[in-house]
Amino acid sequence: MTGRVIVITSGKGGVGKTTTSANIGTALAKEGYKVVLIDTDLGLRNLDLLLGLENRIVYTIVDVIEDRCKLKQALVKDKKNPNLSLLAAAQTRDKSAVNAEQLKEICDKLKEKNDFVLVDCPAGIEQGFQNAVAGATEAIVVTTPEMSAIRDADRIIGLLNTKEEIKSTKLLLNRVRPNLIKTNEMMSVDDVVGVLEIPLIGIIPEDTGIITSTNKGEPIVNDEKALAGEAYRRVAKRVLGEEVPFLDLDEPKGFMAKIKNAFAKLKAKV
Amino acid sequence: MEKGFIENGFIVNLSNSKNTNQLVYELSNIMEHPDVKGKRVCLKLGSIDLKQSQLLSIKALIESMDAQIAFIDTTSEQTTVSAQSVGVMVSKMSDNLQTEETPRENEVEVLETEEIPQDDEYVNSENSEASISDEAEEDKVVEVETNLEIQPQQGQGIINTVEGVEDIYTETSEHELSEIIPSERLENDFEVLAASEGLINKEDMSKYILLDTGDVLPEDAEEHSKDTKELPTLYLNQTLRSGQTVTYEGNILIVGDAHPGSEIIADGDITVWGILGGIAHAGSKGNVTSKVRALKLNAIQLRIAGLYARRNDTLNVPYVQKTNEFTPEEAQIENGKIVIYKKLRRD
Repeated sequence: MTGRVIVITSGKGGVGKTTTSANIGTALAKEGYKVVLIDTDLGLRNLDLLLGLENRIVYTIVDVIEDRCKLKQALVKDKKNPNLSLLAAAQTRDKSAVNAEQLKEICDKLKEKNDFVLVDCPAGIEQGFQNAVAGATEAIVVTTPEMSAIRDADRIIGLLNTKEEIKSTKLLLNRVRPNLIKTNEMMSVDDVVGVLEIPLIGIIPEDTGIITSTNKGEPIVNDEKALAGEAYRRVAKRVLGEEVPFLDLDEPKGFMAKIKNAFAKLKAKV
Repeated sequence: MEKGFIENGFIVNLSNSKNTNQLVYELSNIMEHPDVKGKRVCLKLGSIDLKQSQLLSIKALIESMDAQIAFIDTTSEQTTVSAQSVGVMVSKMSDNLQTEETPRENEVEVLETEEIPQDDEYVNSENSEASISDEAEEDKVVEVETNLEIQPQQGQGIINTVEGVEDIYTETSEHELSEIIPSERLENDFEVLAASEGLINKEDMSKYILLDTGDVLPEDAEEHSKDTKELPTLYLNQTLRSGQTVTYEGNILIVGDAHPGSEIIADGDITVWGILGGIAHAGSKGNVTSKVRALKLNAIQLRIAGLYARRNDTLNVPYVQKTNEFTPEEAQIENGKIVIYKKLRRD
């Protein structure tokens, strides 16, 4: 089999690349696909923390590249889902320990045995970005509805377009707050898509559950009730090629809210 | 109902605590366990005198863990009065609620190990489907770790115990002993109570779980047991932060904390006068007599010579809350397992 290699990138830091990688990876594995997550953020690794696998890491990607272990030995299997494994970044090294060809080689080996290889890219456009993109054929650009993040995403999309290997680039809009959009304090989804002009693959609402899920080392897609978890599950389905409607973020939640909403509609009719 | 239990809860026997500090310390140790949530707690306080404020803070401690005090059992008048004013029920535990007093075996827990995929050629392996996921079915069972070997011996003030722990207790009088030992037994009480109630399984209670690493030792490393006293020692007075590595061909002594993400690799012993939160590898060249010791042993991975152990997931909190209460611990290899000894507190 030949799996798909998808790089998850953003340019700007802190917009949710790693959270997105962990959640899409977990969601795809839950669908029954074999997934490997690669953390390429050498020296500032976080993906292992989000998955709660930090205590299981013995070998890292640098050990594989410097031939201290076999690729298979360095793959850390997820606690819950045997379809998901992680190739961790080295915490005690920096981006110069790896080059683009080496990473491409690893991606090529991994895609022979897996359906999906998701590469979590570091922030920035330097060596780390070039490494992460090297083996990928698809890209997901994560951004938030803020000018700075959108500017950086635009720059990244420009860079990705110059790479021949990248066949598709999709946009994932993270940390959306519908009530701020309503009051015109935040750019709307349409505004962002209008600026960046690439197809949208997901809209993730701001969710405080992300913080607890990060601290617990448990991706939020495992939480059936969380709105962000549902949004990520839908993204995974879209990655698989399914047509899934975007989450209706305006839908009021809770019993009282629904009643209020019903009254509001009634009033509008009258 | 089984002997020694109350409905949806458990009894914590603190009656052997010498003073309030010790009592709170031991209680907080127990309450830290995640399965305590939502349970009712009965406290056996013995003869200790608690003021109203102290009892209130104990109550708050328990409630902060989402548990409730069901009632307390005390022989102290002062505590009874405080309890009444705070609104905590005081009750005499009937005999059938007594905690078990039968001596227990030293806990050597039998745990499942995890396998780190071994040498198969990743690319060329024939059985392609099984290449990554061959772990779960063939888990081996290996005995692991933790806790005390110390047992009270009647009429004898000295415990036969492990090297290192021994000299601390050599001078201890019988009187002191009888007070120190139960404080450790207390944890056992909790464990046995909880475990037989089906609250906690064995793995949950174990602090470290051995990784089945096979031959991960570097090729030039050979198992040996050289006395680590003969090795030179690197003395560091600093905090080790994430991403920092200290490697030394000898012992390493760090006065300060070692944060998660840091690595300490020594040919000999590793001693951290602070919280050890990163990876510690003692005897990295194969010295099986090497030890890892820390004021708070919370290493994400504990490696001694060729044995690697990961911290239990139930303890996977990235940072340890700093407190003034530490229980120094020491890890070493015994019979092919990593064993952790708690140095008992002496107030």
